[in-house]
Amino acid sequence: MKRVGIFVPLLLAALLLAGSLASAQAPRTGGSLVVALGADPEHLNPTLTTSYPAGAVGASIYSGLVWLDETGRPQPELAERWEISADGRTYTFHLRQDARWHDGEPVTSADVKFTMENMLGPYHGRFRNAFALLEGIDAPDDYTVVLRLREPYAPLMSLLTVFDAPILPKHIYEGGNPLDHPANYNPVGSGPFVFREWVRGDRIVLERNPNYFDEPAYLDRLIYRIIPDDVSRAVALEIGEVDLIWGVYLPAADLPRMQANPDLDVWQGVRIPALYFLFVNTREGALANPKVRQALMHAIDREQIVEQAMMGAGNPNVGPFGAGFFWAYDEATDYSKLYPYDPAKARKLLEEAGVRSLTLRFVYDSARGPFRTAGEIIRDNLRQVGINLQLVPLERSVMVEQVYTRAAYDLSMQSFTSAGDPVLGYHRIYMTVEPGTPFVNATGYSNPEVDALLKQAAGTFDFDQRAELYRQAAEILAQDLPVLVLFDELATEVSNKRLQGLREALDVRDRLERVWWAE
Amino acid sequence: MSAGNAGGGTALWQYVVMRLLQALPLLLGIVVINYLLISLAPGDPVTALVGDYPAPPEYIEQVRADFGLDRPLWEQIALYVLNVFRGNLGFSFANRVPVLELVLERLGRTLLLMLITIATATIVGITLGTLAARRPRSLLDTASTGIALAGYSIPEFWLGQLLILIFAVGLRWLPAGGYRDVRLELSGLDLWLNMLKHMLLPMFALSFRYMAITTRLTRASVLEIMNSEFILAARARGVSERRVFWSHALRAAALPIVTIVGYNFSFIMAGSALVETVFGWPGVGRLMYDSIFYRDYPVLLGILLLVSITVVIVNLLTDIAYAFLDPRVRY
Repeated sequence: MKRVGIFVPLLLAALLLAGSLASAQAPRTGGSLVVALGADPEHLNPTLTTSYPAGAVGASIYSGLVWLDETGRPQPELAERWEISADGRTYTFHLRQDARWHDGEPVTSADVKFTMENMLGPYHGRFRNAFALLEGIDAPDDYTVVLRLREPYAPLMSLLTVFDAPILPKHIYEGGNPLDHPANYNPVGSGPFVFREWVRGDRIVLERNPNYFDEPAYLDRLIYRIIPDDVSRAVALEIGEVDLIWGVYLPAADLPRMQANPDLDVWQGVRIPALYFLFVNTREGALANPKVRQALMHAIDREQIVEQAMMGAGNPNVGPFGAGFFWAYDEATDYSKLYPYDPAKARKLLEEAGVRSLTLRFVYDSARGPFRTAGEIIRDNLRQVGINLQLVPLERSVMVEQVYTRAAYDLSMQSFTSAGDPVLGYHRIYMTVEPGTPFVNATGYSNPEVDALLKQAAGTFDFDQRAELYRQAAEILAQDLPVLVLFDELATEVSNKRLQGLREALDVRDRLERVWWAE
Repeated sequence: MSAGNAGGGTALWQYVVMRLLQALPLLLGIVVINYLLISLAPGDPVTALVGDYPAPPEYIEQVRADFGLDRPLWEQIALYVLNVFRGNLGFSFANRVPVLELVLERLGRTLLLMLITIATATIVGITLGTLAARRPRSLLDTASTGIALAGYSIPEFWLGQLLILIFAVGLRWLPAGGYRDVRLELSGLDLWLNMLKHMLLPMFALSFRYMAITTRLTRASVLEIMNSEFILAARARGVSERRVFWSHALRAAALPIVTIVGYNFSFIMAGSALVETVFGWPGVGRLMYDSIFYRDYPVLLGILLLVSITVVIVNLLTDIAYAFLDPRVRY
């Protein structure tokens, strides 16, 4: 009797709790979501550009063959299933038969083949790496696509998302020049939202696609508001004119204020790792000596940079390939252990290298606030070891010219996204490249051994085997130090507290159709 | 400015046509100098076109060829000038649409903001300046001097951010930016009222400085005229003080005021680049700011040309206004 007396209320409480949880978790349809962008996309054809805003808006209008869940595993989108041959060279995709373009035409294998051959292959910065390895694309029937590779390419599946391989309609683009096709401004996709209007400099409005092949979006409308000024963008979020801002558009200095705001949710975590580092111009002078580069690493206080320039949103315990890909991370080449902050050691190494006085030019993109703060910290750090650092803030396009085309710099701060796989994002930092290409290895460092190891890693599917190759490459790179890796960035997203269902995918810009407003 | 021929409508027309013809070589010079200055500036426009990840080199070469960036500089300039005379301002690198289309799409919103700004700055400035001049060293005079001093010294973009903090974040009376509420479906009067609400802060941020300039100038000008001999003569003839002020003094004092309004016009146009950026107002000013950032030369050149034409026209209108205000000026 006594035991029942306790048990019944407990049971009731449990039932009530379960009931309230269920009602809190039932997604609601309706409402509009306003997302801030820092700039207009150039156009809305994401096969021609890798820019952030074009990718963001494109992700909701178009579809890819697959999407990547938050752990990076491919999930069916236009392709409902797929097979990979044992030798890793043949991929067969079976498309959904109920997918339609926004104008009502069916999505078929011809669209996939056309998009890859005519747009993604020649124009897309990331997809072209896979395209170069493609022997052929077959469309044996309307709903089957076969990709035949010359050699295995480990990151292929993660390149088949809406970001790196959005599928565009053949019946609209066929016969025209994709570069100035009118559909680039009036896009027809097959994604969860339909394009409605674009007022340049102000907004892009999308509406729910009621005929979406998967479950239709919860939101009625998705509005991208273009707010170029950092301060105004943060303010718009704080007063509710905007509901969601991604980390790239959020100055780190505003984070503490956002965290204190009871109406906002601040999320931080690792999704698609991004590396912050210094390119070192190793071509001539003192910096050609690895010992001097090691001294620099000892002299720079990376923890202070993370704390002050990033407001804590970073991890300084990283090796040559960061630490974001946990399977490729090796403690033995962690720079925080190999080169801890130690000005005395730095001075000793400089002395050994015979460097007495040194003045270095630190070139960075002036639009990147954290780069400036980091530059000031580094200038201070280096002064302790007798190196004079000149901060050279340049506009992005001028920075590209000075660093990548003319190599007119000594140190340059950069951040590269991994794009979901070290092969896509990080190999370019270390591999030997044609001089003059932007956003690749700008150091002049060229090591055939490293090149060979990375090339082998790109064709290795097994994570353990790939990790071993990275371990070997990291061992060399950690001694040569052509690049001073500072930290891994933590991704950040700030949203209205009532917004639910965010971040289902690896890329925070993806799957906004799963987002809904709670009461 | 006052060129020969006395009086008459035809003379005025001749004058206008002659001035416009004179402006042609000036505008041509402006186009060429702008083009040279821009091509001297470092930075490659192609980097803005293809995203943040290394683009295929053949793609970059194709874009360069498409936009004529691979030709010698003099050829680019000649081609540009020729196109301008055909009414073709070129093709935007960054937006991949004709420059004229891009500018016209936004011109209305900038003109709206500018005209309201100028009207406010002029009306408030003249009123305050006149009141201050009529009662020198009064409380109102001191206050208007103080306001003018603040107006001179506060940068527009900073004032804009301050206004956002006070009226949008603190009091929540007005929106922080944009030109209309993007969540609402608006049309007709509702849309206009909504736009007006969005316009108040940028309008104030932009007009404050010119209000101050106009106030100071009006005060000085009216004070000087009120102490001049023809006013003394009018008073001696027994003309009422009210009539002396409104018919004699104000008309004479208007000359420098008209000059400053025309002068303000070109500066407000320049100032709109920053204010439009702070408030996310999608106008030509912000387009100019973006086009500098992205090295979108055709857009930048097009806007600069447009601004030059506007300045020429406003100067002409100012000179014509003199003829109506000052009987001594004839064209």
